[in-house]
This record gives sequence, C-alpha cells and structure tokens, in this order.
Amino acid sequence: MKKIVSQIQKTKKKINSLSFDAHWYRRVFHTFGASFLFYYMLPDEHYLNQIKIIIPVFIILIAITLELLRLKKKISSNHFFGLRVYEKDRIGSYLYFGIGIIILLFFFPQQIAIPCILCACFGDPIIGEIRNNYDKNKAILIGFVVCLVFFIITWYNSKIEILILVSFIGASSAILSEIKKIKWLDDDFMIQIIPAIIILLLIMILNTVGFDIVFEKIIYPGLMPW
Amino acid sequence: MNRKKSIYYLNNKKNDDAKLFKTEILLTPILILIPFLVGFYLIYDWYIRDIVLNELDLFTELLLGLIIIFGNLIFDIPLIRSLIKFSSKKKIKK
Repeated sequence: MKKIVSQIQKTKKKINSLSFDAHWYRRVFHTFGASFLFYYMLPDEHYLNQIKIIIPVFIILIAITLELLRLKKKISSNHFFGLRVYEKDRIGSYLYFGIGIIILLFFFPQQIAIPCILCACFGDPIIGEIRNNYDKNKAILIGFVVCLVFFIITWYNSKIEILILVSFIGASSAILSEIKKIKWLDDDFMIQIIPAIIILLLIMILNTVGFDIVFEKIIYPGLMPW
Repeated sequence: MNRKKSIYYLNNKKNDDAKLFKTEILLTPILILIPFLVGFYLIYDWYIRDIVLNELDLFTELLLGLIIIFGNLIFDIPLIRSLIKFSSKKKIKK
C-alpha cells in the first residue's frame, strides 16, 4: 500500500512539474487573444477591408505550415514553448484557438463573436486556474458566472427576455463545450464556436417566431486621419 | 517545482532549457504590451467619441477595454513573477 501511495505521489510530482514550466505562459497566451478585438476598430475603407481578410488568413496559413512541419519533425517541438506533453504528436491548441477567433471575426456578428472570444480568452484560463487550485464544481460555477457577465455586457441593450435567454444559453454552452472533451477537437476551439452557433440558431428561430432581433455594432471602426 | 526535470520530459532526449526560456522571454513583451494598448485604445475611443464628441453610445467599448486590461493584468503578474524567479535562480547557479 505504501509503495502504491509513494508511486502516486511521484507521478503527481511529475505531472505538476510538467504543467508548471509553461503554465503561466499558456494563460497569458490565452488572455492575449482578446487583443484581436482590435480587428473591429480598423477603419472601413475599401483597400483596408481586403487587408483585413488577407492578413489574418496569412497568419493562420503560416501557423498551419509550422504545425505541419512540427508534426513531420522538420521543426523541433523545442521551438514551441508552452506546448502540452500530449500536444507533441497532435495539432497544438494555439492553432485551434486562432482558427476559432478568425471564424468568429469573419462570419459572426459582433454581438455573438465578442462574448465568445472573451469566454475563450478569459473564461477558459479562469476555469483552469480554479480547477487546479480548488475543485471542478467551483470552477464550473465561477466560469459560468464569468461567461454570463461577458454575454450580459454585449447584449445589455436588448430586451430583457432576449438578454436573459441569450446570456444563459451562451454561458451554459460555453461551459459545456469547455467541460466536454473531444479527442480530435480542442476545447479552445469548442468554447468559441459552439456557443456562437447555438446563439445564431437561437436568434434565427426567435426571428421566425416573431421577435425582431437586429444585431448591433459594439465596437465601431476608427476613422481615417485623412 | 523541478523545472529541469519537466523540460527533460518535454524533450525526451536532452535538456534544452535555454532555448525554451529564450522563446518565452522574447515573446513575453508582445504578449503583455499589446492587450494593454488595445484596452487603452478602446477606453480612449469611448472617451473621445462618447464623452467628448457625444457621437455614439460606446459604453460597451469602455467595459471591454477594462476587461481586457484587468483580465490580462491578473495573469501577467504571475508570469512576470515566475520569470523573475527563474532568472534569479539561473544567476545563483552561475
């Protein structure tokens, strides 16, 4: 029995040491993602609109190429600081994270995209941190409240029933997609896309039923200085 | 926690501690500064277009700016602390 306990403790130490080195770096990488909201502040000019599509796609293509080279062992995983051990032989979660953000920025209205991006950028690390230090149930509860706040902030101009419905469904689906792990799809992708799709479907259904929901702009494009 | 050990497990073959640490140090200023710039720009935009010019209702922009700044601050402080701790350990070893 003692042997088993000491073996478990040794394994725990190993796991802890593995997660420690890049731990805060990974968290900051997540919160950094919120900077992509700057995309909405770029002025609405014809040539800039083209650049707004080309540059993000180019960045993602570079990341995909790097990942392919890494998986084919052409580039050492040592150059990718913050990779988890299990990501050594599969696509890194940073790529899922980036693709998720780009899909939201390109194809979803601001009112859906912004809270979903915030859930991935802040909700996910907060849940992870609380889960590591306290317990899973607390993490789920606090994570739900945090995601709920993000949805309330972006929908606060809507009718109260829409605000409550969208916020609860959005926050719940974000939490569920964070908890439910799928082998071939990272939770960094799921936490963004699943709530976005569900809310979009919900709004479409509500519009057919008779609610007249119009998406509002939250962040307005900046003006050109000339 | 045993950092050397953890990196050894990550590498499987050799201890490439310095290479990994360099990547972290090089990217840290970007990861820390850009969110603050975006956050402050959102607040600035709210101040100019909502308060000064009274053009648009940009209260959400203010909230988003604050979320980005404080959300990043919460996680930046431990990262900077861990970097300082690690670099001071390295100096002692030298």
